[in-house]
Amino acid sequence: MKTNFTLKQKHNGFIKPVNVEHFSKRDFSKRTLSFIAIMMLFTLMSNPLFAQTNAPTESKVTNQELVVKGIVSDEFGPLPKVNVLLEGTKIGTSTNKKGEFTFPKTLNPGDVLVFSHLSYNSAKVKIIEGTTTIKLVLTSDTIEMIGDLNMEKRFKSKRSN
Amino acid sequence: MKVFRFLLLFIIAFQSNAQISDFNNIDFKKADSIALECKDEGLYNLPELVHKLTLNLDTDVERFRAIYMWVCINIENDYTLFLKNNKRRQKYQNDSTKLTNWNIHIRRKIFKTLLKDKKTICTGYAYLVKKLSNLANINCEIIQGYGRTSSTNIDKLNAPNHSWNAVELNGKWYLCDPTWASGIINPETYAFKFEYNDGYFLTSPKLFAVNHFPENEKWLLLNNPNLTFKTFLEAPIIYGKAYNALAIHDTPKKLHNALRPNEKVTFKYQLIKPITTNQVHLIVDNGFVDRKVEPNAVQIKDDTLTFEHQFSSTGFYDVHLLIDDNLISSYTFKVKR
Repeated sequence: MKTNFTLKQKHNGFIKPVNVEHFSKRDFSKRTLSFIAIMMLFTLMSNPLFAQTNAPTESKVTNQELVVKGIVSDEFGPLPKVNVLLEGTKIGTSTNKKGEFTFPKTLNPGDVLVFSHLSYNSAKVKIIEGTTTIKLVLTSDTIEMIGDLNMEKRFKSKRSN
Repeated sequence: MKVFRFLLLFIIAFQSNAQISDFNNIDFKKADSIALECKDEGLYNLPELVHKLTLNLDTDVERFRAIYMWVCINIENDYTLFLKNNKRRQKYQNDSTKLTNWNIHIRRKIFKTLLKDKKTICTGYAYLVKKLSNLANINCEIIQGYGRTSSTNIDKLNAPNHSWNAVELNGKWYLCDPTWASGIINPETYAFKFEYNDGYFLTSPKLFAVNHFPENEKWLLLNNPNLTFKTFLEAPIIYGKAYNALAIHDTPKKLHNALRPNEKVTFKYQLIKPITTNQVHLIVDNGFVDRKVEPNAVQIKDDTLTFEHQFSSTGFYDVHLLIDDNLISSYTFKVKR
């Protein structure tokens, strides 16, 4: 089975500040209190649920012993020296000149491979039942490269005198 | 929906105080020594580097510290690359196609230089801090914006010229500047010298805003409508050592000031650590000679430092604040009858 992955740019959790001037103070405290109350209720109710999900996971698909190969490229072609690592371990390899790799350890469904290279966005690929070949295209940030210097030189006014 | 806006206000209000003092209970010695032990590591295997830097550390702030410190003490500022990039960016500033193409080209070149020589420019520092932090599952962003130093030509500050980082620790966002923390460029030889400045790590957003203005203003991490790009351009010059001495720069609010002979001008600052009155000096430069003077009415109450100065004769003066003989900030005063 062949799987194609393209990494999309990550959204972080930062929320945009909004203009809050037009709300009255009374409104503010009332709403906030009710919101806090809802949040507390939610917290109280949801916690026990989590505590019960400790049942052992089924091991039906675990021992599949997959030999995983793959090729990593960017928009222009194959990428050498991309690190391929089994998440949570130090086991891994890197791609050769043709962008190819063969993972040194057999993998099980559910394992996650982390692909990383300085110039590209990192990507995670989850191994599913029957995965043997991974074809991955890495993308890079389109960030503007800028930089100014800090010379710590004492300021001197430009004078006409 | 409204409820979320209120929650947002809380988050923002919370963030304005996000700074290093939130972590007074944490000793960064362990993180710093791990960063030092990894000094010879390269950038070819980033997950392994992150693993080595963070494995034996228990909190996110320590893990981030080790990553940040590693970048600051290992990556050099590349003056040649800066010059090359700056020239082209100026040249193409009104031609977006050429600028985009140049950026693609220089990005490849910058990554290559960073990988091979561990040298870069601002965005490279911020990029690397973000990249390594993300591999350690720490939320970190590159902030593009305007940086102001004594050598910045304010008249030409029409496009972002500096990059730094915001990092999320325990649900709060903090600011840091790995480029300026790593060292300084010699003004005569343009050679880079490593000289780590701890003041740029999780800095008070109020001080940071004196010489950092983000393209997207939410990254000021301040909710102050009086702070605009215009006030930023008018602000006094502060130096690296200000980041070791001050939490807030209060007055004078502007670099250029005008007053009459014998009119009092009040200087006010919030200090990070206590000092004594005899550590405070001014250098007054009238264009011909420098005079080191004791300021008048120096007061240090709690963390607040205040003092006064007045000019007896007309003229144009550059005035520099020194604490412990370290250059903190600069102002000009036009004294006219």
